[in-house]
Amino acid sequence: MKKWLSALVFFSLSLSANAAQDSVELFGYFESQAMGADIKNEFLLLYSNKLRVDLKSSLSEKVTFAANFDYITFHGKTEWNILDFLPSDVTAEVPAGMESFYVLPFSDRHFLDNAYIKLSFKYFDLTVGKQQISLGTGYVWNPTDVFNIKELFDPTYEQPGHNALRLDVPLGSMYTLTTLFSPEDTWKNSAKLIQLRGRISHFDYSLTGIEKVWRFHDYTRFDFVNMNFLELPGKRQLLGASTAGELLGLGVWAEYAYNWMENSEDFYELVVGTDYTFNFQTYMMIEYYRNTLGKTDYEQYNLNDWMRMIALEQKAISRDQIYVFIQHPATDLLSVGISTIYSISDNSFALVPTLNYSFSDNVEIFAYLNFNLGKEGKVFAKNMGNGGMIRARVYF
Amino acid sequence: MNKIMISGLIVLLLSPGLYLQELTGEDIVQKVNDLFNVESGYAKAKMTIVTTSGQKRTFIYESWSKNKGEKNLVRYLEPRRVKGQATLMLNNADDIWMYFPRTQRVRKLASHAKKQKMQGSDFSYEDMGSGDAFINDFSPKRLKDEKMEGYDCYKLELTRKPDSDVTYSRLIMWVIKENFVPVVIDYYDEDDPTLQEKRLVESDIRVIDNIPTAMKVVMYNKNDNTQTELELLEVKYNITLADSMFTERGLKK
Repeated sequence: MKKWLSALVFFSLSLSANAAQDSVELFGYFESQAMGADIKNEFLLLYSNKLRVDLKSSLSEKVTFAANFDYITFHGKTEWNILDFLPSDVTAEVPAGMESFYVLPFSDRHFLDNAYIKLSFKYFDLTVGKQQISLGTGYVWNPTDVFNIKELFDPTYEQPGHNALRLDVPLGSMYTLTTLFSPEDTWKNSAKLIQLRGRISHFDYSLTGIEKVWRFHDYTRFDFVNMNFLELPGKRQLLGASTAGELLGLGVWAEYAYNWMENSEDFYELVVGTDYTFNFQTYMMIEYYRNTLGKTDYEQYNLNDWMRMIALEQKAISRDQIYVFIQHPATDLLSVGISTIYSISDNSFALVPTLNYSFSDNVEIFAYLNFNLGKEGKVFAKNMGNGGMIRARVYF
Repeated sequence: MNKIMISGLIVLLLSPGLYLQELTGEDIVQKVNDLFNVESGYAKAKMTIVTTSGQKRTFIYESWSKNKGEKNLVRYLEPRRVKGQATLMLNNADDIWMYFPRTQRVRKLASHAKKQKMQGSDFSYEDMGSGDAFINDFSPKRLKDEKMEGYDCYKLELTRKPDSDVTYSRLIMWVIKENFVPVVIDYYDEDDPTLQEKRLVESDIRVIDNIPTAMKVVMYNKNDNTQTELELLEVKYNITLADSMFTERGLKK
């Protein structure tokens, strides 16, 4: 079946290519990555190879088709026992006999990440299909983005595509109205978004309203019918705002979202950030994040908190965090930096030295080390595993 | 940056009797500024960085400019690593947005971003003379005329104004008398006005659509012993560009 599907996709792409030979572009990248972490005095390694093939075809001035196909293989330690990372008082919550379910598998996979058609008319753009949805002005955290959660140590990595129908209507040169519908099994369960973006003076602003079902899980109960942890879907209604601009020479941004929850407590998220480039080329950024879903003391963290954070179901388990990033071009091809993520609520932090090297025009190398410096039970606890990652990416 | 000036597009706006009177430093800088700010234009350019170790990095980009440089759009074509990345500058680069096609994210940048190097080159966005930088950020003083690169030139000293946060303490500029092309510009250290950091040299000046155009611009970095060359591959002047090009929608195209 999968072979037939692959053949069909290939055939479709070939047809598209033939239909607009002059305007079809095939490009993408190959990346090879190694990650390591020191867990319980053993340095575990996970390797991955990823091939991403992008296709973009401008069939006419008004019609653009784009797609990405990802093929990823994993090697080395491809099954990680999450309980190895967690403090003993939390692992004690694991129901007897269920220990084997807390394994994070890394399986080879291939999938169509994005595949969409964009129709551009005089007064609006309509985008239909799997597409990236990027919301908010925050660098590491985006309160208004209910579709994606960024990796703390690698926040600029591309986000997955989401099936959606998106309408962008420019209102003059300063404002844009966006509506988005992301279909699920029923209209009621489908995500709906409306956003107004605009510019006043030197600041960008946006107002966003979203309704979406949040499918998080109860990691203390197992659903043996679906062979997964018990899903606890609940409707989430969000009203948010964001801004970005310049104040006293500093770049500044802020993002806020209030969430009304159907089955759980309402909460809000807030991001405030600033950045600056010094004359000696050093770039510095600070971002503060508050999430009232997070806990104020690490002794309150439970198994569900940890699992939801590790499974990227919620953005944070600690209420207040600060991200600081400093980068400097050491040479014309090499940039070095360091980021610190400090959990104010539990007084723990991670240090992440980074390196970007331009190996050639189309080859770049990115690496980081991460050192967790909190005591057991805190967000950035030593037992979360000190380690690092190195990635080489070749664009074609 | 990326006024068409970046690519060395220099417009000659000759006024009758220009040479009959003695020009002050302010007059000459105004002329240079006018030349940079063409009504509208398009350029395709190749930027080659030669690193300390002698390695080369090559970028090709297109740029569009409107309203005498008030609106600018730059989009990278090569290499594949940065293809599709685009920068929109409005209000003489007081408002800057960058678009990253891999994440489909538009990010608003503050004006300090102009201090950053363009793709690791020896040009900062500031070097490209965004807006009326030569007039707004510096006080000009005319020095004794000199020959430079074989041209009879006006020589100017531009000293940073006290309220400016521009990176350079002063500039020395040699402006060709015949067409007001600044054929050489020396950039001096932020804190030490005697320490030269960079030198920009414009060459291969051709008249395109009656406009003198430097087809090649090289920035030499004295500190790092590196250089970056900008070469114009294609130029068009006074073309019709829709305002919608200079919007977020145009940026993401």
